[in-house]
Parts: sequence; C-alpha cells; structure tokens
Amino acid sequence: MQLTTHTTPSGFLLPSIHAAHAFFTEQPNPITQNTFVNNWIQLILSYARHRRLFVIRVEDAEVAGGDWDEVLRNERINRRVIPSYLTSLISAMVSRDLAYYEPPKQTRSVVLLWRLPEEWADVLHSWGTATGQINTILTMYEITDPPVPSPLSGIPLSLLRRAITVLTRSGRAQLIEVADGEGVRLLAGGK
Amino acid sequence: MGLTQSAPKITAQDRAILDLKLQRDKLKQYQRKIQVILDREYEIAKSYFAAGDRDRAVIALRRRKYQQSLLLKTDGQLENLEQLVSTIEFSLVEMSVLHGLKQGNEVLKEIHREMSIESVEKLMGETQEAREYQLEIGNLLANQLSVDDEEAVQEELRQLQVQSTQSEFRVKLPSVPAEQPVAIEIQDTQPMLSREARERVPVPG
Repeated sequence: MQLTTHTTPSGFLLPSIHAAHAFFTEQPNPITQNTFVNNWIQLILSYARHRRLFVIRVEDAEVAGGDWDEVLRNERINRRVIPSYLTSLISAMVSRDLAYYEPPKQTRSVVLLWRLPEEWADVLHSWGTATGQINTILTMYEITDPPVPSPLSGIPLSLLRRAITVLTRSGRAQLIEVADGEGVRLLAGGK
Repeated sequence: MGLTQSAPKITAQDRAILDLKLQRDKLKQYQRKIQVILDREYEIAKSYFAAGDRDRAVIALRRRKYQQSLLLKTDGQLENLEQLVSTIEFSLVEMSVLHGLKQGNEVLKEIHREMSIESVEKLMGETQEAREYQLEIGNLLANQLSVDDEEAVQEELRQLQVQSTQSEFRVKLPSVPAEQPVAIEIQDTQPMLSREARERVPVPG
C-alpha cells in the first residue's frame, strides 16, 4: 500500500495518512484510535485555517458538495468519513476545547477553534490598532463584514463575542448595548 | 483588575453613535437583500424570455427596475448616515482637542501663578541684598587692617610694579660699554684680502 501526500485543488497538502484506508474508520485498538483522532483533529483544524472555515457539521459527512469534501472524502482510495465517525471526532474536539457546539445544546454543528478565543482577541485588538479604530465604537457587523477584508472577515458572531469577552476582562474593550443591537469599543489599555 | 475603573463611561453620545452605525449596517444588509432580488428577477426574466413568455419577462424586468430605484434611494440614505457618523466622530475629536488645549492652558496658568511678578521681584531684591551683604563683609575685612599694614601693602604693590618694569628693560637694552673704544686698522686687512684674490687667479682647477 503506497501512502503519499496529496495537494488538493484548493492548494492544501493532505498528509500521507489521509491515503490510508484505516484512517477513515474507527479502530478497535484504543491506542491506534487515539493516534488517528489526534491526526484527524490536526487535519481538520489546519484545513479549516487554510480555507478560513469556521464551522463543520455532521451534514458535511452526509452529503457531498460541501466545503469539507477534500478532507472528509478521498476518492482516490474510495473512502469517506461516515457521519457517526465525524460525530465522535467532533465530540473529541469539543472535549479538548478545540471547538464548541454552536448553536449550543446540539451535537451536529460546531465552531472550530483553529485560533483560541484569546488568540482571536489579540487578532481583533491588533486589527483595531492597525486600522486606527481604537476608541471608536464598532458594530459587530462592521467587524465581521468589513468593506476591506480583514483577518476577522466572516468570523462567527459567537466566536467574536468570546474574543470580546476576553478583551473586556483585560480592560481592552468595552461592550455597549442599546435597544436594537450592541457594539464594542476597543481600548488602548494594556494587559 | 477592575472592570469598571479602567473602562470609560458609556455616554449618551456613544449610544447615539452606536445607534447610527447599527442603522447603517441595517441599510447595508437591506442593500444586499435588494441586490439578491435584482439578480433573481433578472434570472426570472431570462427564463421567461427563453420560454417565450414575453409579457411575464417584461413584468419581471419592471419589478427589477423598481428594486433598482430602491437601491439608489438607500444609497443616498446610506451616504447621509455615514456623513452624520463621521461628522459626529470628527466633532468628538475636536472636543478632545479642545479639552487638551484647556488642560494645557490650566497648566500654564498654574506655572504662571507660581512665577508671579512680585515673587520674581522679591527674589531679585533678595539677590541684590545678598550681594550688598557680601560687599559689606569684604569692606569690613579690609578695614580691619591698620594704616601701617595698609601702607606696607601699598609699598609691596609699588615694588612689584617697579620690578616688573625693570625686568622688561633689562632684557631689551645692551649694557653700557666699560672700556674705551679702540680704532680698528682698516688698511691692514684690505691688502690681505686683495692678495688672496690675486693668488687665486693664476691657479685654476
């Protein structure tokens, strides 16, 4: 059996393990299984970072044609991740704080944390500093959908809120709420 | 680390700005929605036209035109909102500049208060007094010398002057000759020189 790396059309380099048949099914040996889960989590997070994907759903394993086909399917060896396996991978990620269920109280969809909320907080603050928006009041929409693409474009609102919470705790941001929405003011304050 | 102590207070202005910005975001989202409708109506018109249903295609295009006019209107409103937001933000900047100037002025006043004319005059007067005091001390010390001592000092000064003038002259002037001057015999040396010259001529090289 020949295991080689493979570059996907989106320019992502799949590791050689992705060409192994066994990688796509749950293993009875717990040690092997643990290694595979680690590899899967790493693969999913780095692919998410590569494509700037924030969400993975069990549905992505059920239906072809989504963003995750390049990772969850390997047509070259005719293997794919079955939905139940993806569910267990997702729960493993959630238990390691590398993802969280969004919306909560369900297990079919998660927001991936290829940057932790603390790291996103830093990204947000340095973006605000670089664009001179310290002390101005920003709406959430302004941050997630800026006219000029930023490192935060498309960030899920729930993740953005977590990052802002981190900033408010260290006195680097302030949440402002009004009747029909909320905004945030970034502050220059140090950590 | 306190949450409230470091964060500035949320003022009514902040809320107003946020409200405006939220309105602006809503308009932007609305525009996006209209854009989607525009595209959809176009597709509908195209499919009707392809199916040979001209009338329905025209209706779809008319609807599209209407949505387009809406889009133009919202553009104007958006511009107004953005202008208002930036005007407010600029005014806030101006306000902080004013605040800064005010504070600078206060500091300057404070400094001037400490540097009032009276205190400067007083200081200068004190300096003058101190100088006079010093002079007085000098005078007192001088007056403690007796008249004899003073004369001796003056004498010493005079001798110093004399010495310095004498040493100047001693270097420059030659000493007076002590002996009678003797006349030198010029005739004796003259023939000697000519003899030598004569001897040299016949013996070349």
